[in-house]
Amino acid sequence: MEYKYVGKSYIRPDAISKVTGKAVYLDDIRLPGMLHAAILRPQYAHAKILSIDTSEAEKCPGVVKVVTGKGCKFHYGDNIRDLVPMADEKVHYIGEPVAAVVADTPKHAKDALSKIQVSYDPLPVYIDARQAMSEDAVIIHEDMEQYWTLPTLKVVPGTNIANVYQVRKGRAADGFDEAEVVLEGEFNYPFGSCAAIEPHGSIVWFKEDKTIEVWSSSICPFIVRDDLANSYGVPASDVRVHIPDIGGCFGYKSDITVEQTIAWIASFVPGRPVKWVSSREEDFTSTLIGHGIRTQMKIGAKKDGKLVALQVKVLHSSGAYADTGVNVTMAATHNSTGPYEFDHCELTGYTVYTNTTPVGAFRGYGHQEVHLAIERMMDMLARKLKMDPFALRSKNYLHEGSVNALGEHMWKFNGDVAAAAARVQEVVFGHDKPREDDTYYYGRGFAAVMKSPKGAPFSTKGCYMKMNTDGSVNINMGGAEVGQGLRTVVRQIAAEALKIAPEKVRVYTELDTQFSPYEWQTIGSMFTMQGGRAIVRAADKMIAVLKNTAAQVLKTDADYLEYDGEYVYLKADPYIKVAVTELARGYITENGITIGDLAQAVSDARLPRYAAPDKNGQGPLGVTYTFGAQGAEIRIEKKTGKILVDHFASVFDVGQVINPLQIRGSVLGGVNIGIGAALYEEVIFDENGKITNPQYFQYHVPTYKEMPKQTIEFLETPDPIGAFGARGIGEHSVLGPAPAILNAIYDATGVDFCEIPVTPEKMKKALEALKEYA
Amino acid sequence: MAEKISFTINGQPRSVEVEPDMMLIEVIRDVLDLTGTKHGCDNATCGTCMVILNGRAVKSCNTVITKAAGAEITTVEGLSKGMELHPVQTAIAESGAVQCGFCTPGIVIELVAMLDSKPNASEQELTNALNKHLCRCTGYEPIRDGALIAQKVVQEHAVAKA
Repeated sequence: MEYKYVGKSYIRPDAISKVTGKAVYLDDIRLPGMLHAAILRPQYAHAKILSIDTSEAEKCPGVVKVVTGKGCKFHYGDNIRDLVPMADEKVHYIGEPVAAVVADTPKHAKDALSKIQVSYDPLPVYIDARQAMSEDAVIIHEDMEQYWTLPTLKVVPGTNIANVYQVRKGRAADGFDEAEVVLEGEFNYPFGSCAAIEPHGSIVWFKEDKTIEVWSSSICPFIVRDDLANSYGVPASDVRVHIPDIGGCFGYKSDITVEQTIAWIASFVPGRPVKWVSSREEDFTSTLIGHGIRTQMKIGAKKDGKLVALQVKVLHSSGAYADTGVNVTMAATHNSTGPYEFDHCELTGYTVYTNTTPVGAFRGYGHQEVHLAIERMMDMLARKLKMDPFALRSKNYLHEGSVNALGEHMWKFNGDVAAAAARVQEVVFGHDKPREDDTYYYGRGFAAVMKSPKGAPFSTKGCYMKMNTDGSVNINMGGAEVGQGLRTVVRQIAAEALKIAPEKVRVYTELDTQFSPYEWQTIGSMFTMQGGRAIVRAADKMIAVLKNTAAQVLKTDADYLEYDGEYVYLKADPYIKVAVTELARGYITENGITIGDLAQAVSDARLPRYAAPDKNGQGPLGVTYTFGAQGAEIRIEKKTGKILVDHFASVFDVGQVINPLQIRGSVLGGVNIGIGAALYEEVIFDENGKITNPQYFQYHVPTYKEMPKQTIEFLETPDPIGAFGARGIGEHSVLGPAPAILNAIYDATGVDFCEIPVTPEKMKKALEALKEYA
Repeated sequence: MAEKISFTINGQPRSVEVEPDMMLIEVIRDVLDLTGTKHGCDNATCGTCMVILNGRAVKSCNTVITKAAGAEITTVEGLSKGMELHPVQTAIAESGAVQCGFCTPGIVIELVAMLDSKPNASEQELTNALNKHLCRCTGYEPIRDGALIAQKVVQEHAVAKA
């Protein structure tokens, strides 16, 4: 649809502050009397702590305090309260905080760390869920049955399984009886790091008036606030959390990550703010990592390609704490169908404690991982059925009238995956593939994708809006700007809803729990949808205030009036009007007596009927999905096994594009992250649980020279929930690259990879094996 | 032992007391409070800490402060003249190259150093320069777009001056 401001490119409100170096990130904040912390990490990934001697460290220059976990008896967490701010009797992974030094400078704090003496009694180390699930495995959390959890979670006592989540639709056994062809496969999406260029950091200040003030590189100030209030027994209103600009998130700055540790340290030096910024190594070892998901999949189909049954086991190596991983497992499990309808589903997800860095969100909450499985399986199944893989897919796409694994009915307005697929097929497969030559194999691959929302039933996004006497508007919301461009989105949606130029809308900068409206956290590609709806609701309320005041001025009824951004006027005679600038703080009559209310409004928006899972793991998730399709054209260098992505195409049905420049940027970057996962990136743990590549020069993030040419297009089937029809798109572009590229590798060489990253070494080895076999 | 080191930074002569093993980034950020220069890694891989030292873009996280003695240094804060931005800043702001913005100061500095000294740099030279920087948000394409727009503006300025 044509809108005045929505659907056009505007420059981000924060672009100038960022190109001039004036944007303030966590590490740029300096407070009076600020101290600095450095944190000691263990030598073992799983061990009992026998003793800690801090006496030598205390004597080091500049040291104010040395802190250990001794005496800390509280646990914290948003889903499972299994976290502790600092290890006490035991360490569970290699990045865990064991002790900390607080000093006058970061250097003094770091220098003193080596003087802390810790003795350990090592325990067996489990890197993979399968090891941790073995019958004789040592229990990583002995007291896990005592942990508070969300009522919907199911711990398995006496094991390392923190939660089992099951989705049942139909009867899988009947489905497999009905099937004429059955295919099984196992796919591994190893650990990765969001690896944002800004590392994590926090400042915490316990004040003498018993309030706590926090600054953090987090996207969830309200979770941090409520969690600290709970742990330290103060009212939530006495904890003030600021969020400055954030230098990239991609998932791992969601949920509570480092804040409780810094708060624990700061609680020993009350009256002084304590700052900690992670080194790049700590950003890998000691914040959150992603993925660690092995998907075992069995598909039953009819000979004509109709899918009938799906059985999936998601084995999630969720790390030493499961609070943040459990939602990743669940979303992976119920989205393992991909964009397809199966009458019978038996989907089970195991969140398993391992001695690795805790897993949290990574752009897509489990969707990347299971899309690798389902989209590779669709190509393999097509081969088994001797069918065209596009024909197999189109026979089974979720569409109007079908029912997904959660029991939600699909409607036309949920978007058109078939149309997106057809367009990708045209731009990637619509021309001849180059013929194999002396240097390269050439291949093309495809993946169709679907993403559900991810949140909590209570997750809402608030909006405060006020109009000034010159007609300009200030908007305050709780959404964290991590780079995704939500400030531009707020500005454009508000301009459209209020019928005023975007230049007259000033959007909030930092978040501050003292001033910002409530938002659970800015996750799951939900801001444009939920936040956009909240803006429209606030705008409607504020316009109603203007009309009510105007009704008194114009001596008529409010419903006879219309608003056009500049005036409120009588519909029946637009000459009878009053300017909004005269109404903004109430209307001042001739003798100064003022009538009417301030032009301001408060609103919020949740997804409709988002529910907790029932006993079958089903329950509506707000009935909003974004569908799309992606395709890759690749070259494989024969000599080296190096894979080059020459062209990557993405088409998504986003309902309504808000800002063409920004949405393209979001997809460009997401595809790059997906290509990184497919070809380069893996956080590698050795058998002792140490990360062997915790630096950028070891963990290969895609570089400038590795960017492919990209085709990016959007379909616009308007959504009934999002503002002006817009759906979420933040995470979706990361879902297709790995399966599309692996399908292209098969197309090029006939080699089936079921695990990423496909590094040149692995590719070369596979090519050599192929030659030997031939 | 602390030493006194003098240099010119963003056009201002400064003398600072430093430990000789300090890196340039520590002096810029922690002594001079010029926080536009960012710290993204600890081993000269990400490029966000770049500054211009005697006309060349260098990574300040692995440049020992003693190398700055007597030098001319420009940080991202020194590029705009009052309200007037450097053409590279304008181009990068408008091309979509800014998302989280954390890599942006380093990329802006890199392009300014390259284009001020070599307005006709080839695309390969620009590629080699930008390949020293990591960006996790943009997929790099809008950075390339911004670099090419900036180059055009810088070239036009050079023609106008001549």
